Amino acid sequence: MKPSELKSLIIGSLDEKADPQITARKLEEEGVSFDFSKGFSDKVIDRISSASDTISTEIEFAKSMRFAFNRIAITGVAAIVFLLISIFLADGSLSLNSFLGIENTFDEDIVCLLTGN
Amino acid sequence: MKESYRQTEESELVKASIEGDKLAFGEIMERYSKMVARTVKGMLGDSVYAEDIGQEVFIKLYHSLSEFRGEAKLSTYIQKIAINLTLNEIKRRKRFFSMFSQKGNSEMYEYEIADFDSEERRDASELVNKALMGLDPKFRIIVAMRMLQGYSTKETAEILNLPLGTVLSRLSRAQEQLKEILEKL
Repeated sequence: MKPSELKSLIIGSLDEKADPQITARKLEEEGVSFDFSKGFSDKVIDRISSASDTISTEIEFAKSMRFAFNRIAITGVAAIVFLLISIFLADGSLSLNSFLGIENTFDEDIVCLLTGN
Repeated sequence: MKESYRQTEESELVKASIEGDKLAFGEIMERYSKMVARTVKGMLGDSVYAEDIGQEVFIKLYHSLSEFRGEAKLSTYIQKIAINLTLNEIKRRKRFFSMFSQKGNSEMYEYEIADFDSEERRDASELVNKALMGLDPKFRIIVAMRMLQGYSTKETAEILNLPLGTVLSRLSRAQEQLKEILEKL
């Protein structure tokens, strides 16, 4: 088909009354065809599979993190409770001073301690 | 797992693909890759970007197959995914190029012409590509669907979710634009 005929076909295909299927077929006969490169399907399947692998790895990682967090959190809470009990047993209260270790200390003692006199 | 799905009904292919059967999904790709290529390459040009978007279309299809109710044809469903992803890519590239370049739209789509068995066939393909790439994207999609896919005006309106009148007026304006473009080629 000559370029001028091809141009007329392209322009004519947009006429409201033109049969679009005939134009599409004629263009395909003239070599106007679109397709993906060889191995296209394999590439898609590979990407789908690798995405699934990544997702399962991420899920596994999240599970491990949750397990580790639970262990650390339980141990941490137990340590805090143990500390509170020992402070209470030692000082008889849970005030800020007992936390700081100065519950039974006078101000003069602290001055002495800091200045050395 | 079945060795071949050549004769299998579409609904069965969808069901098997949802269950993770890659062979069944491969058959869906086999049946619709040309249709997707016409849409994506018709809109973006015959470039490597179009191949990437084509892959994205099928990956998105694979992950959204469970949402496919079977009320519309599978081809329409795939076509809508292809159009949406292609239009997103056009918008993305338009934004990118407007930031870094003063060039017009027609210059931002580079395309490579595949191997052809004769010069005449290559010329025909090149002419159609150049004509499409010169069009405004909102006209290009309508022209690509009609000229390359063979969809009627009514089908185009349904797939693009546009009123029939809008499709008709865009077709007429696209025709005017095409005349101008083709005169220069």
